[in-house]
Amino acid sequence: MTTSTQQKGDFLATVSANRQIGKTFYRLTLEFTDIGAQAFAKTIPGQFAQLDLSNVALPPAEKIPAELSDKADRQILLRRPFSFCNLTTKNNKTSAEILYCVLGPATLRMTTLSAGNTIRVIGPLGNGFSVPENKKTALLVTGGMGAGPLLHLAKFLTTDFPSIIVTAFAGAKTAEDLPFKGQLDNISQNLGFSIPEFATYAIESFVATDDGSAGFTGFVTDSLEDWLNKNNPSPAETIIYSCGPEPMLAKLTQIAQNHKIDAQLSMERQMACGIGLCQSCAVECKLDNSNETVYKMCCKDGPVFDSQLVVFNL
Amino acid sequence: MNENIDISVDFAGLRLTNPVFTASGTCGYADELADFTNLNSIGGFITKSITSKPRKGNPAPRIVETDSGMLNAIGLANLGLDAFIEEKLPILEKLSPAVFVNVAGQTIDDYVTVTERLSNEEAIAGFELNISCPNVAKGGITFGTDPDQVTEITSAVKKASGQKILMVKLSPCVTDISIIAKAAVDSGADALSLINTFTAMAIDIETRKPILANRTGGLSGPAIKPIALYLVNKVYNEVTKNTNVPILGLGGIRNASDAIEFIIAGASAVAVGTANFVEPDCTAKIVEGIEKYCQQNKITNIKELIGSLEAN
Repeated sequence: MTTSTQQKGDFLATVSANRQIGKTFYRLTLEFTDIGAQAFAKTIPGQFAQLDLSNVALPPAEKIPAELSDKADRQILLRRPFSFCNLTTKNNKTSAEILYCVLGPATLRMTTLSAGNTIRVIGPLGNGFSVPENKKTALLVTGGMGAGPLLHLAKFLTTDFPSIIVTAFAGAKTAEDLPFKGQLDNISQNLGFSIPEFATYAIESFVATDDGSAGFTGFVTDSLEDWLNKNNPSPAETIIYSCGPEPMLAKLTQIAQNHKIDAQLSMERQMACGIGLCQSCAVECKLDNSNETVYKMCCKDGPVFDSQLVVFNL
Repeated sequence: MNENIDISVDFAGLRLTNPVFTASGTCGYADELADFTNLNSIGGFITKSITSKPRKGNPAPRIVETDSGMLNAIGLANLGLDAFIEEKLPILEKLSPAVFVNVAGQTIDDYVTVTERLSNEEAIAGFELNISCPNVAKGGITFGTDPDQVTEITSAVKKASGQKILMVKLSPCVTDISIIAKAAVDSGADALSLINTFTAMAIDIETRKPILANRTGGLSGPAIKPIALYLVNKVYNEVTKNTNVPILGLGGIRNASDAIEFIIAGASAVAVGTANFVEPDCTAKIVEGIEKYCQQNKITNIKELIGSLEAN
C-alpha cells in the first residue's frame, strides 16, 4: 500500500454543496483553501478524513427518517471517518467530495450542512490504494456505500495510468441501495456503461442487485467471477480494488486467490481518533505467512489492506 | 507567555512548566501526535500502558460512542517492554514535558519487571501504576479495588522504581476511593492520578448483544467529568491535603474551564484523555486557557488555585 509522508492536519473546510442522490445517499462537497488545499490536493484514493459533526444541527423532526427518530438526538462526541469519491484542485483551492448515506445520528446531521457552512476536518489520513507495476487490467468492485473511494480511484487511474483498462462492478441489495445518479439508458447499458459516474471516465461498469431490481440478479462477486471466467485476464497483469461490506470482501478475497490475482481492500472500523492514538480500529491480519495473527490499525496501517493479509471474522 | 504569571507546578518534587498532561492510552507514544500539536507546550506526557510482553489487545469493536462519552475496551494492546525501549524511548527522550510510563501487568512481578528495567532511563521522570484498567481478564482493576492488594503492589513497585516518581492511578469503581488512595499513599505512592474509566456497557437492541467484543468497556469523556471532579475533591480533602502527595486530576476534561475546576477541587495537575481524539491540539489550547484565566483573575502563581475551593 502507498505509505505517505504527506502533510496532514486539522483544517477548516467550507461546504460548497450537499446534494441528495436517490433516497438515502448524498454527496457533500468540501472546499479547502491555503495549507488545507495543499494537504488535501495530494490525497491518494482510499485515504480518509475525520469530520467534526458535533456542532451540526439536526434536521427538523418531519425530515428525520422513522427508523432514526428514536435516537436522532444522541450527542455526537467523536469525529466520523469518510473517504472521498472525487477530488479537484483549481485556483489554489481543493474540492473534496464525500459520498455518504444516512445511517445514524451523525450522518443525519450531515444532511443539514449547506453551502457556506464550515466544519473541521482532520486529514488526509491512512494509506490509500496503490498501483503495482505491470498491471494492465484494474477491476473495481463496490458494495453499497463502498463505491466512494473507488470512484476517486477510477478518476485517478484513468488520469494517471491511461494504459490500464478499468472495469467497474457495483453491487447492492436493491436498485434503491445503489449510490449513483441512476442508470444510463438501454443503448449505453448495451455498450456496457451502466453507471453514469463511471461512464464519465469511459469506464465500463456492471450492476448487480440481490433482488434483481437492477442489472444482474445476485451478488456483485458472482458478476465479477462470471466476467473473470469469460475474459480470462492475465493474473499477473490484473488487480482487483474493492470496498464494501465485509462478507463481500471475504468472498472477493477467495475469488482473487482462486484466480491468483492481487486484491486491495478498503476496510472499515469504528474509530475514535483516526490518527493512531486510540487503537480502536483493530483489523486482524496474518503475520508473515504464519498461523499467528496481529491486530493492525485500520487508520494507520490501512484502511487499504492487501486481501491476503486480512483475517475475516464473519 | 505572560512573564508575570507562573503556571509551573511542583509535582512530587518535579518542576513542570505547566499543569497539563496527556492521559495514558490517548496519545500513544507521542510520535502519533507530531503532525497535530506541539507536545513541548505541555507539562507532562503519559505513555500508553506498557507490559513486560507485547499484547495483541481485544478484538473489534473496541469502542462505542455513548452520549457525551465513549466506551473503550482496547485490552492494553502494546508493543511490549523491549520494543518500547528500542523504538519509542528515543522519541520520548526528545520531548520537553516530563514523561511518565504507564505500567500494567497481570501479576505484581510483571509490574516490577517493567518498572525495574526502566528505572534508570533518563528520559523517564516517573511511572504511573495502572491498577485500574477495566478491560483485561487478569490484573488491572482487580489490584486497584482491594486496599490490601494496593498496599502490596505499591510497595513492591516503589522499591523497583529507584529515584523515579511513582504515581498510582485509581479506579472510580470502588465503594470508597479514599480508602484505596490512603493505602497507596501509605505504601509509598509519590502522587495519585484519578480517575480511570468507569466499567460500563452498551447493548445492540436488535441483536440483544453487547456492542463491544469485550462485553464491557471503560466509560470516558465529558459524561464522567462531574463524578471525577467530586472524587478528586474527596481524595484531596480526605487523604492528600496535608501531605506532599499531589493529585493528577482527570476524567472528561476538554477545555481550560474543566481543567481549572479540577485544580480548584485539589488537583495539582490535570490530564486530558478522550478530548485528544476529537481535537488533537486541545492540550496546547488548555495551557493557553489556564494562563488566560490566571491573568483575568489576577492569579500570579497557579499554586494559589490548587485546592482553593471555597465553602458555600
